[in-house]
Amino acid sequence: MSGLVLSLLDTVLDAAPALIFAAVGATLSERAGVVNVGVEGMMRAGAFAAAAAALVMPTPLGVVVGVAAGALVGALHGGLCIFARSDQVVSGMAINLVMLALGQFLLEAVFSSPSGTPPITQLPRWLGHSPLTWLAVVTPLVVHGLVERTAWGLRLRAVGEKPEAVAAMGVRVSRLRLGAVMASGALAGLGGAHLSTAVLDRFEHHMPAGLGFMAVAAMVFGRWTPLGAALAALFFAFGNALRLSLASSFPGLVEVVPQGVLLALPYALTLLVLTLQRPGLARAPAALGRPYDPELR
Amino acid sequence: MRWVLLLVLLAVTGCKKAADSKDTPKARAVGLVTDIGGRGDQSFNDSALRGLEAWAAGSTFKGGGYEPLTPKARAATVPAELRATVKPVPVRPLVVQSKVQEDYQPNLQLVVDQGASLVIGVGFALENAVETVAKQNPDARFLLIDSPVLDAKGTPLKLPNVRTVVFEEHEGSFLAGALAGLVAKDTVGFVGGMEIPLITKFEAGFKAGVLTTNPKARVLVQYTGSFDNVQHGKQAGADLVNKGAEVVFHAAGSDGSGVIQAVKEARASGKAVFAIGVDSDQSHLAPEAVLTSMVKRVDLAVWQAVFDLDRQAFSAGDVVMGLAEGGVTLAPVTLDFPGKAEALTRVEALRAAVVSGAVVVPSTLDALKTFTPPASQGGG
Repeated sequence: MSGLVLSLLDTVLDAAPALIFAAVGATLSERAGVVNVGVEGMMRAGAFAAAAAALVMPTPLGVVVGVAAGALVGALHGGLCIFARSDQVVSGMAINLVMLALGQFLLEAVFSSPSGTPPITQLPRWLGHSPLTWLAVVTPLVVHGLVERTAWGLRLRAVGEKPEAVAAMGVRVSRLRLGAVMASGALAGLGGAHLSTAVLDRFEHHMPAGLGFMAVAAMVFGRWTPLGAALAALFFAFGNALRLSLASSFPGLVEVVPQGVLLALPYALTLLVLTLQRPGLARAPAALGRPYDPELR
Repeated sequence: MRWVLLLVLLAVTGCKKAADSKDTPKARAVGLVTDIGGRGDQSFNDSALRGLEAWAAGSTFKGGGYEPLTPKARAATVPAELRATVKPVPVRPLVVQSKVQEDYQPNLQLVVDQGASLVIGVGFALENAVETVAKQNPDARFLLIDSPVLDAKGTPLKLPNVRTVVFEEHEGSFLAGALAGLVAKDTVGFVGGMEIPLITKFEAGFKAGVLTTNPKARVLVQYTGSFDNVQHGKQAGADLVNKGAEVVFHAAGSDGSGVIQAVKEARASGKAVFAIGVDSDQSHLAPEAVLTSMVKRVDLAVWQAVFDLDRQAFSAGDVVMGLAEGGVTLAPVTLDFPGKAEALTRVEALRAAVVSGAVVVPSTLDALKTFTPPASQGGG
């Protein structure tokens, strides 16, 4: 039995970090009032850039490049939403589509292989897991502290609730929001980099295979708070590990319960928890999705 | 502006003509349409391209054009056991890559219009497109890989100008299972993608193989539910390794790279565990961890069709390629493990038994229930 639990823990620690980084990142953007459904595309950018960079430099530096790539895509999304005041959902989806195609294009143009980059040196392991796993344990706490306990965090939350008030205080709404979206992109990029440098040792052309959308769901499930989002991400990863573990440990179970039911287990668990949540607590930031226009007050 | 366009068009078509005339004019053209995996997928499409470009035409694709291969370089692409049979065929490859599913039909029509004597569709995804184009062009000949032509209700359809090739994956998986049973002491693992008949076929064959060489061994089974999620594959692989699997066989597409990665990492942390790859020789993914791969010889199926075409012996109909036809096989085992020589002898004996028909490998889990493993002739 303890073997079972240890095995579960092991696979969760390996799989959860990408989702945790991305979900925590998504809260930053949305708390500042910018809808971010482009997490998937930002993760893809991070995963590709990290692997491509790690071919010519040490892998930890490659991860930094991945983070920068995520931030860059975040800046694009922020620029479109904040300065061009385009529809935030459309911009996010457009980013996902563009990154999907760009990743494939670059794979074929640079590495002339549609399936993935050549292998890179994987990140070293600390206590059996990649350093990013341990960073994923700390990141939600740090972001929580930033959002809840600092002046910047207070302004960030305010800009997502009532940007007019922040502007009246003499703080630039656009700059604050852009910073938050870029930070969101950077964290998504870090999540993507975890996929290509720790989970696998190269960029694989399907990455991140829908994980970005799971991250957005985790953020909503976690009520737009960094800690909540991280817990929700952990919960999803745990649910998936659990269904895999159940299937292999109790082969008799699969005879009775169809595989499809096991596949749906993480999501069924999510629905169950959502119904048990006290209503009224989950609330999106008031100015979410609304571009700030200083001329309209 | 318009005349510039015209000039560009002229230049493009002009170049094309020049390039065409460089080839031997007599060689007949054989068209090939890839699925969205395309050139460089290190799997199905690359295998089909190898059959046409290297084995048949004796050329290599470089920088947008074909360069002839030296006989030695060509022979290096053919596995040793096939070198005597696989002869060069004077043909000119005409390859079109598909980027999206909507490309299949126009691409097939394009190569027909270019005058290809044979048009090859790679992958079951092209089934619909091949059916449509074959009906519209009754004079053209087609080869469809990995699926029979099906009508709207899913029943096989005979078209007079289409040859289809399917592979007996369960027979190859049987050998993979037999080898896994000989390498492992008491636990082996199988990771499938989605639980669909095509994949349970692998599971049934694999289990039958394990049952033959190591009846006491447990077979842990895992389905990831996807073919595109490396992380799911890695979780599934790590889970099986943690539960004591000593050999893990996967039939899970891209998820499989995750399975192999999990095995590779387990080996790095000191566990004695192997992975078995699928479709093509996957040892390049982790040379120290991949014991062998259950290979589908798409290249052979393509070469065979081209060869038949050249001999005027091309026939339509459904071809099934199993161990006997060389359509499925195990990739060479280069890794060392205790008792390797005896294990490989035993696997070869089982291959012979399947080829001769003495052993009938179950292709479904239901058939597996009534499967009685052949008695071992000493050892095992």
